[in-house]
Formats: sequence, C-alpha cells, structure tokens
Amino acid sequence: MNPTIPARPHNGRSNLLPGLVFAVLVLTGLGFFFIPAVVIRPFSYQSPRALTLAMAVGQQAPLWTVVIAGLCLVLTLLLWRRISNWKKALLVLGMVLVSASAAMSRVDYFEWMFHPVAAPGFTSAEQAKLDAAQMVMAVRFGTDARAYPIRAMAYHHVVNDVVAGVPIAVTY
Amino acid sequence: MSGRTLRFRLAGINNQNFLMRDEETGTWWQQVSGKAISGPLKGQTLEPVSSDELTFGLWKQESPAGQVLAPVPAYEKKYEDNWEPEVQKLPTVIDFPGSGLESRDVVIGIEAGGQSRAYPLAALSAQAPTQDRLGPAPVLLAMGPDGKSVRAFLSRIDGADVQFFRKSGTSDWMLIDAASASEWNFQGCAVAGPATGKCLQRLTALKDYWFDWRNYHPDTSVYRH
Repeated sequence: MNPTIPARPHNGRSNLLPGLVFAVLVLTGLGFFFIPAVVIRPFSYQSPRALTLAMAVGQQAPLWTVVIAGLCLVLTLLLWRRISNWKKALLVLGMVLVSASAAMSRVDYFEWMFHPVAAPGFTSAEQAKLDAAQMVMAVRFGTDARAYPIRAMAYHHVVNDVVAGVPIAVTY
Repeated sequence: MSGRTLRFRLAGINNQNFLMRDEETGTWWQQVSGKAISGPLKGQTLEPVSSDELTFGLWKQESPAGQVLAPVPAYEKKYEDNWEPEVQKLPTVIDFPGSGLESRDVVIGIEAGGQSRAYPLAALSAQAPTQDRLGPAPVLLAMGPDGKSVRAFLSRIDGADVQFFRKSGTSDWMLIDAASASEWNFQGCAVAGPATGKCLQRLTALKDYWFDWRNYHPDTSVYRH
C-alpha cells in the first residue's frame, strides 16, 4: 500500500502566519468598537486622556473595522481549504466578531435608549397639554418664542430646531 | 458653525455630561460648553443662545403666542415625569468635596465680571431677590412668581449700580429699585415709575448640578448668604 498522500501539501508552518495575522486583526477590529464603548460608558469616570483616545478610535472605527473585516475575509478564503474543521470554526467565529464590530461601530447605540427627534413638531401655547408647574426650556428670537418641556428634553436630550431662521441645538 | 448648519445627535457621555456628534462632519461636541473636542472641527465653539428654564405657566403668560415642542407620540410613554428626582439619586463619578455642597445639589451658575459663581438653589429666596457682586459686576438673582423659575440680571440702570427689593403688600410679583422706586417685572423690565420702558441686561443663568458646574468652571466660587 502506498502511503496516503494528502490532496494538497499540508504545511502547518505556512498556515501559522496567516492564522496569527487573522487573530491580531480580529482583536484589533474588536478594539475599535470596545475601546470607545468601554471608556464612554455611563456611570464611569472618563479621564481626559482616555476620552481623547476613545473619541479618536471611535471616529476611525467605521472605516477601519470594514477594512479589517475585508482583510479577515481574504485570509479566511486563503486558509479555508487547508485547515481542519475546528480551525474553520475559529475563522467563522472571528469573521462574526469583526463583522459585529464593524456593524456596531456604525450605529449610535446611545440612541437606542434615548431616541432622537427626527423633525420637531409644535403646538400653540394654548393647546399644549402641560401643567403650569412643569418646567420648560425657553428661547426667544424677536417675537418667536419657543418652549421645550423638560419632560421631553430629559428623554431626547437634544433637539435640532430652526427658530426665526436661526438653527439651534437645544440640549438637556 | 461658520455658515454651515450642523445637526446634532446624542453620541455618548463624559462624566455625566453628554457628548453629541454632528451628522455633517462627525465632530464630537461637549454638551455643556458647546466645544468641539474631537474630530474635524476640534477647537471650535458653538455660539451660545440665551435661554431660560422656567415653569410652563409663567412662560405661557409671557409668551401667549409662543410654540411648544410637541411630544413624539412613539416615545411619549417613555418620558419621565420625575426625571429630576430620579437623577438626583444616581451616583456621581466626579466629586469636589470641601465646598459644603453635595455633588447633586442644584446650583444656578453665573459668569460675570470675569468670574464664575455657583448659587445653590436652596440659598435663593422666593421672598427677596439675591444681590451680589462678581468682580465689578453687580448681580441680581430673582426667583419668579411661581417660586421655581430663576433669572439673573446685571443690577445696573444707566450705568449706575442699583439695589432691588420685592414689592410688598401686593399679590403681583414686582421688584422695586432703590434709585427711582420704579416697578420691574420678572422679565427685568420697568413697567411703572420713572424707569418705565427700561430693561435690565440679562445674565445667562445655568441650572446645573454642583459637580458638573464645578467641573467646567474650576475657578468658581460658591455664594454664601
């Protein structure tokens, strides 16, 4: 009997380097999402340095997570035929993680909790269903007066509006 | 910003003061200061707009033709009626002990005369206006007829510093100035007496938690009466 010859030369060493690169890419891709997410989390202290880093990483994340996911895909295709099933499973897991990181870097999950106001609507002072004792934030431009009830502002936090032609951001 | 209109979104939180991101450039901005702190427009500051925090009843009296932001129907049930008492109980992440104030004590923050000062809400009286001096600037803080709304003015008429008192013996809310005994309404305008038609200069009064005011005004002093 002839010894079984593998269909392709199976060289562990030639798989090691792309495998390591793949692992580093996955960790980097995750970092792009998790560094800002962990630093900028509610009820934690943000030091000026950590915040600066987190915002810089967060701003680069939408681009770089996609680049990284693309590179990981190339490596996965390259390695796919020459590795065992459990290693394939690792590659799939890595792909899922970097894709999730790329997706999460593009969404504003703070707005899941506090939805934005797409286009602010208004009622007259007479028709507004508000108790006299409720607090509002108020602006006036010439004769145009607008009130933003704290009750709504405490939920939306930011409302983009135009009053008398002036674009303003009302924040609470 | 520089002739360009930016739309802001809630983007994160920085020591419990929120961060916003503009859709147009992706720059991150600090809510309380309007400063761009990261991204293409870093270093720029939004122009502050003078605003008021007052009760709806008082606002409606002053602005009967005004418009009120309508609740967004899809989210209205998530609005909290007692947001402030709830937030009051939340822990803080930065504290500035030694001031005699608790982190979540509500203060009225004023910047005038090159200085900043925090006026604890609890130290302001509905019965009498608070007179103070910040550097060269005479400051007047008045709590309105609703006992909840606070406004601040430069306490100066035609270049002269003037003291104000609450008019007594009447149910109408009026201030009287010590110089001409004219009557002034809560908008800071004289409506009776020799000064009729004059208005005091408004000062921006930021209602804030002590820790947040102190964080963004490291040199602030605290008003004591």
